[in-house]
Amino acid sequence: MAHFEIKDLTFSYPEAGKNALEGVSLAIRQGEYITVCGKSGSGKTTLMRHLKTVLTPHGCRTGEVLFEGRPLGEVSQREQSAKIGYVMQNPDNQIVTDKVWHELAFGLESLGTDQRTMRLRVAEMASYFGIQTWFHKNVTELSGGQKQLLNLASIMAMQPTVLILDEPTSQLDPIAAADFLNTVRKINLELGTTVILSEHRLEEVFPAADRVVVVEGGRIIAVEPPRAIGERLRELKSDMLVSLPSPVQIYYGTGSFLECPLTVREGRNWLSREMADRPLTTVSLPEEEAYREPSKPALELKEVWFRYEKELPDVLKGVSLKVEAASLHGIVGGNGTGKSTMLKSVCGVCKPYRGKVFLEGKRIEKYKAGELFENCLAMLPQDPQSLFVKKTVRADLEEMLSGRGLKKEEREEKIARLAEECAVTELLDAHPYDLSGGEQQRAALAKVLLCDPGILLLDEPTKGIDSFFKEKLARILKRLNRRGVTILMVSHDVEFCARYADAVSMFFDGGVITTNTPRRFFSQNSFYTTAANRMSRHLFPDAVTNEDVIALCRQNSADEDAIALRRQDANDEKMSALHGQNKGDI
Amino acid sequence: MRFDSYHPAINLLFFVAVLAAAVLFDHPVFLLLSYLCPFVYSIGLKGRRALVFHLLLLPLMAAYTLYYAAYNHFGITPLGSNFIGNQITAESIAYGAVRAIKAASVCMWFSCIHAVVSSDKIVYLFGRIAPRLSLYLAILLRLVPRIKTYAAKVHTAQKCIGRGLDSGSILRRCRNFFRIASIIITWTMENLIRTADSMKSRGYGLKKRRAFSIYRFDYRDRSFVLGLSFAFTVVVMGVLLDQTRTLYDPEIIINPITPLSIVFYAAYGAACLMPFFLQLAGEWRFFLSTQSRHL
Repeated sequence: MAHFEIKDLTFSYPEAGKNALEGVSLAIRQGEYITVCGKSGSGKTTLMRHLKTVLTPHGCRTGEVLFEGRPLGEVSQREQSAKIGYVMQNPDNQIVTDKVWHELAFGLESLGTDQRTMRLRVAEMASYFGIQTWFHKNVTELSGGQKQLLNLASIMAMQPTVLILDEPTSQLDPIAAADFLNTVRKINLELGTTVILSEHRLEEVFPAADRVVVVEGGRIIAVEPPRAIGERLRELKSDMLVSLPSPVQIYYGTGSFLECPLTVREGRNWLSREMADRPLTTVSLPEEEAYREPSKPALELKEVWFRYEKELPDVLKGVSLKVEAASLHGIVGGNGTGKSTMLKSVCGVCKPYRGKVFLEGKRIEKYKAGELFENCLAMLPQDPQSLFVKKTVRADLEEMLSGRGLKKEEREEKIARLAEECAVTELLDAHPYDLSGGEQQRAALAKVLLCDPGILLLDEPTKGIDSFFKEKLARILKRLNRRGVTILMVSHDVEFCARYADAVSMFFDGGVITTNTPRRFFSQNSFYTTAANRMSRHLFPDAVTNEDVIALCRQNSADEDAIALRRQDANDEKMSALHGQNKGDI
Repeated sequence: MRFDSYHPAINLLFFVAVLAAAVLFDHPVFLLLSYLCPFVYSIGLKGRRALVFHLLLLPLMAAYTLYYAAYNHFGITPLGSNFIGNQITAESIAYGAVRAIKAASVCMWFSCIHAVVSSDKIVYLFGRIAPRLSLYLAILLRLVPRIKTYAAKVHTAQKCIGRGLDSGSILRRCRNFFRIASIIITWTMENLIRTADSMKSRGYGLKKRRAFSIYRFDYRDRSFVLGLSFAFTVVVMGVLLDQTRTLYDPEIIINPITPLSIVFYAAYGAACLMPFFLQLAGEWRFFLSTQSRHL
């Protein structure tokens, strides 16, 4: 019997023109690990919310959802609360009480579990998730990763049989995200809990998943094991291919006949086998110009020191940085190293106690109060939501232009132009809080750009947005560069920096350690580098992006005969594997 | 070792008892004890910072006494008259001092409460009386710091585009302030909806909710209750024997101090300082245990 069975589910939100879900059917076995992926707005969340009655959205619905063979509506609230665990996107929103220990017990309290059992379960959960050390803390003291782990633990305390996670790591940094996803995998492996997870970052999830469900426009377009999903997507000519992990993308980019790799390790081995009988003629890309420090930087920091309070330690310890005009400069580095603080010191929110900041060759103190943020500098904060102060995106954009002595037509014209540029024209009349992460990011960018900044500071612009929005964002940024805007970006997203930045700096312990062009920068690193580089560095030391690796593979392609032979081999292998499987089934 | 490791109900019992005593007792010796006990105990809890607080209280007490004596003119012992011709009497000064001391002791007891009783304990105690209310309290305790953090975040974001509370003209600043305030209200509403989802999803609203607590009532708590009730029984006997009765108006009449009354004073002092003594005893025991480990 299937654990969850969705039968021909169609759903539309009230007053929405089209169906949010259309004819969705899916059976999920007990103990399975299902990954749901799709662009934002494709209906992933709507689908997952249908798996728990209290979260099911209002609207028009046909079809049914069966839980353990019974219609979901007939399963009592009490049973659903305990057996179906649901983790949402924002770690902060889900925490109800002020103390970690209380939060852990919240679900058990609702179920009316007796004191003794509660104590045991809470102790068990705290030990399993490694929460003992912060058991007595206030939730405000926790990091984002800890908060999300707490949400998971407090749900696991009710001993659910199925765990539904809706983009649980979109607000976390990569290390915390990997940690969280490993815990989910551990739960799946050790307790046999069914996992249904939707995610943008597929690198960690892919190897763990039993099946991948791809949702597009409210329909399920593919349900396959991870190794086969790429093939299926290619048949469908779906653009979802670009959101698959690097090894998979490179595999399909080269048109190999071997088995599809999922992890960097597999990718490395696959590449070795793929290249085994080919003469490696070209192993590196055309030589790039070496990185030169700009002589006339648009933005310069000279040994900037900063601390938040007198007694606290220094956050910035002599940061020196030069950013070339009209370029995209990326800064990568771990959590809490002071990257965001550096951006704040550039825009004058944090005033350094030593060192100087120059904008266009002029010291920041020399700018008058109003001058700085008009036509000169603007910053997009990490949480784009915090930028919005009005009821609609349009009002928010108009607010930026008020008091500038512009005529109404001029204002409207300007807003329309920028909305077009940032691809938010259709969103102008929506409430900023109703937008998805990627949409918020673009609307916020539009708002910031209304300042006409010459220098744009971005704090984690790719956080929580999917690969399509990332590409869109990159295009916008590149266009700005061409118009002469200098962009300084702080990011955890190594792949994004490798692909689009003009220069990349490593930030560590309150200072910039090194700056170089992305290719030189990432090919020097062995940990802090892209997946493509990690899987191919033994053959192509300076290939950094997926495209680099694919291009090099093509350049070294073998002659026709060898390819034909290889195709034959691959087919034989597949056939024998198929036979083996059939035997196993019998 | 400290009193905060005891069960919250014990904390509550103790502080209610000593606060009541501090407010009700007018007798000078009892008053002195009410003043000295929290004085010593809060220093034991907080060290030098408490002492600074106590010294700051002294001028306030003096000021209150003078204020009281300037506006109340009862009593039979005139000391002179002030510039508008009103009598200043010894009784009114004495009673003003009594009230000042009472207020100061209550303040000091509250500083002890602040050090001993955490928000957890208050939530727990509320939970025994009104479970739902205590949950709301916990939610509120979570919400307030969250709103503060978000407000700071919005302000920084606005500052970074030149729309903070510290840029532009006064009118502009006011506009910025109201803008930020209104969006924070919207944000709070929005988030409460999300939090409600998470609560419902974890079974909030089912019947038979039970409050979880991390506290246990053990032997140490029981013996503390026994000790405290014994001491306070003695004090209550003293009250019944008119030991605490004192008149200030129109004439100061104090119950004479007899050998028996010393027993009552001792009981009151012991009751008030019981947590302090236990703390000292605990520290001493810990000291001994570390000593023996080295041998």
